[in-house]
Amino acid sequence: MNLYRLEKMKIRLSTYRRAVLGIFVSLLAMGVLCLFLGGGGPEVSMHINGVEEDMLFTSWSGLFAVSTALTVACFGIFSAVFAAKIIVEEFCGKKAVLLFTYPVSRRKILHLKSMFVICVTTVSAFVSNMAVMGSLYIVSRIFGITPEPAGGHFVISVLLASLMSGILSSEIGVIAAAVGWKKRSVMTTIICSLIIVCFVPNLIAGLPGGIVWVMFVMGGLFGVAANFMHHFLANGIEEMEV
Amino acid sequence: MNVVVTVESACKSYGPSQVINGCSFQIHEGEIYGLLGINGAGKTTLMKMLLGLQRIDGGSISVLGREVGGSREYLADVGSVIETPVFYEHLHAEELLSMHLALMQKKASIPDALQLVGLDNVGNKPISQYSLGMKQRLGLARAIIHRPRLLVLDEPLNGLDPIAITDMRELMRKLAAAGMSILLSSHIIGEIRHTADRIGILAGGAIRQEFVVKDKVSECGENFEEYVVGFMRRDTYELV
Repeated sequence: MNLYRLEKMKIRLSTYRRAVLGIFVSLLAMGVLCLFLGGGGPEVSMHINGVEEDMLFTSWSGLFAVSTALTVACFGIFSAVFAAKIIVEEFCGKKAVLLFTYPVSRRKILHLKSMFVICVTTVSAFVSNMAVMGSLYIVSRIFGITPEPAGGHFVISVLLASLMSGILSSEIGVIAAAVGWKKRSVMTTIICSLIIVCFVPNLIAGLPGGIVWVMFVMGGLFGVAANFMHHFLANGIEEMEV
Repeated sequence: MNVVVTVESACKSYGPSQVINGCSFQIHEGEIYGLLGINGAGKTTLMKMLLGLQRIDGGSISVLGREVGGSREYLADVGSVIETPVFYEHLHAEELLSMHLALMQKKASIPDALQLVGLDNVGNKPISQYSLGMKQRLGLARAIIHRPRLLVLDEPLNGLDPIAITDMRELMRKLAAAGMSILLSSHIIGEIRHTADRIGILAGGAIRQEFVVKDKVSECGENFEEYVVGFMRRDTYELV
């Protein structure tokens, strides 16, 4: 049995599967609500500071921005909770005694656990966001709600931005886990992710036109930060006392 | 007899508090070495140092001929139960032991190990349904299944009923007879007396008194426990 399979055995994946399903259903419900709210087209508007503006979700790009922002928020917290459970709790709690009595490189275990968080979050967020957008398209066709036609260029944007939403969510989890590790606290990990998702989704929803670029820039920046923090932890793990 | 563990002038401190201070002792092959000491004497710290879980600030510790602090390969030949054993509670005992064997890169019979500790009829139940005593037995099964040459047991009899304690004592004697060395710590003097070949009393961060149990029992007779308690009291008083 390789280390990957052994790590998988340690995790009760059914809990996280249920969480992913719960997030997907919530995002879909929110998306459908937005679709019906904006279904009247550009004439649906609201007053902001006395200026009449179109609502964000009267177009596919606006709907997609909302969906992606919510995906990053939900899966960012999901990935932090996942990382808190399998990284922070194991390395900083009582299980560390068990984990460190094996003739296996501690650094290798940490890398493996982080890869697990990144892969599970990225795939879940990507699939969820794609499924939400696909479902919204079907709903709009069934009920004849078509905010505006969605072209091939938009489909490529959805694919790229959905993939980046997964990567960005997992990076939020890794950064939060690194902060939580320093404080040896699961709660700190989750609070850190909540703080991050307070501003990241706003940037995504605030720039619906350039969503792919926004996602790539943020994904890159967060990726550098997550990589730096992860290696900082990995360097000290071999000398860690439990 | 081969020496399996050598602790030489080992030191360990947490900030200003010197927990282990020039501790020295040896454990031989097939020997059960009992570590006695009051709460906070440093028994668990010493065991963690042996397993590489705590850094050694001074002196040296070698286990199975290898210096602790370098490569961790020697851990494949060491079994341990430190403090209350922790598990992945959603797993069954059989799954847990197969995972343990894979991590230790060893092969062994899981049903045999479960039978040794009296858990053969509950091996396919999730660990979350186990009682404290059953978890303690499972911890012991995990520690011995890969046939280690050294067994480090930190108060392994906590939570066990009198029958289980007797069974465990017999099991330890059998394992020692088969050549396994055992380092055992306990607060129960009577228990250590019936299990260990040699006892070391840890006080003030060092082994203050070391004796062969048989010799001391024949010397003190019925007053063995009083002797040990008296020594520990005296030593604590002198250190204060």
